[in-house]
Amino acid sequence: MVDITDSLDCRGEVCPYPDVKSKRKAKKMQSGDVLEIFIDYPLSAERIPETMKSMGNEVLSSEKIGNSEWKIIVKIK
Amino acid sequence: MAIDIVLVLIPGFIIGIIFGIILQRGRFCMNSAFRDIIVMKQYKLIKSVILAICVSMVGFSLMSFSGIISLNPKPFMWGAQIVGGFIFGIGMVLAAGCASGTTYRVGEGMMGSFVALLGYASAAYFTKFGFLNSISSFLQSNTKITNADGSNLTLFGVLTPIFMLILGIIGIGLASYFWIFKELKAKKTENKPMLEFKDFGIKIFKRGWHWAPTGIAIGILAWFAYISSAGAGRNYPLGITGGWVGWVKFWSTGVDSALSWETFLVLGVVVGAFIVAIIAKEFKLRTPKEAKKLLIQYVGGFAMGFGAVTASGCNIGNILSGWPHLSLGSLLAGAFIVLGCWVMAYLLFMRKRE
Repeated sequence: MVDITDSLDCRGEVCPYPDVKSKRKAKKMQSGDVLEIFIDYPLSAERIPETMKSMGNEVLSSEKIGNSEWKIIVKIK
Repeated sequence: MAIDIVLVLIPGFIIGIIFGIILQRGRFCMNSAFRDIIVMKQYKLIKSVILAICVSMVGFSLMSFSGIISLNPKPFMWGAQIVGGFIFGIGMVLAAGCASGTTYRVGEGMMGSFVALLGYASAAYFTKFGFLNSISSFLQSNTKITNADGSNLTLFGVLTPIFMLILGIIGIGLASYFWIFKELKAKKTENKPMLEFKDFGIKIFKRGWHWAPTGIAIGILAWFAYISSAGAGRNYPLGITGGWVGWVKFWSTGVDSALSWETFLVLGVVVGAFIVAIIAKEFKLRTPKEAKKLLIQYVGGFAMGFGAVTASGCNIGNILSGWPHLSLGSLLAGAFIVLGCWVMAYLLFMRKRE
């Protein structure tokens, strides 16, 4: 298991807050940090990993943890 | 007057269900599409929108040449379309969804979208029949310009149907060449199979759809929507606003004639999105944590309702259905919807916070 540096809970939030918040958070973090993001908005489940990759970060995992709930773990580069 | 079940209720409802399924699976939302060009620099949804418009355009043109439909572009009323479009664009960012996006998300169990829809439907009704009507009628009647024979202005006049065919084919060609082939090529160089039919069912029902099939499916659905809707006496393809206005009118007056093809269409969208959201395990009743956000979504919905009726169409009526007609009014309204969306998105998400 990796050590989670910081966690972001965007459950209940709609388009585009999960995307914008996770992007802002990732920008503030240090290289090597690990960010964990919780969301329940389907569109963001596909787009946050893409955004993170295009920022150059590494998506360690993106899994569905329940009914319309996802957990995404990202390693900041 | 009784409702015509065979021509109005069933066709509208079925087209609506299919529309809802595609919207939910493709996460097709024009608010996200336009907003993310500037906010997230993501272009997948806008590609989907462009492809849907081009596919519609080719179909509408061919169907008009063969006499299956008679094209019905929206009127040009510059004042109403500038003001209404801009207010609609601002509203959809606050409501976190365009007219179709808000409608299908109600089927996903998003309470914020439900609240936005209440604002949207009521404001649209008040603008059509109530206290806001004087403002929209004033804008519409004072800035309306038509051709000399009273027909509505389109980009190329009598030649418009031919240009629709040409532009549509060029658009599909460019989209295929620059976007679709490039993606396939990238897959080939990574040694991944270009098309994989393994787990086809899972891909359709459990994961979000790729932008290209989503756009093509919506474009083709619009052809059938046009034929079916014209058969029900409403000569226009897909639309959302009129449907919700119809429901509010029905609930407040009880008059059967308020229920049209479009009212059953919007109901079908909610039902279709609900069904596939359940299958994909993406249905969940969820409410934003802060009550303030619900209020903002309501206000956004209200602005959308006023804007849509004033501009004589929401993002579906004016952009998805209106742009393929090359109606001057729809092009103008659509441009201001995009502009309103960008101004509000900039203010909310991009301005540096001190």
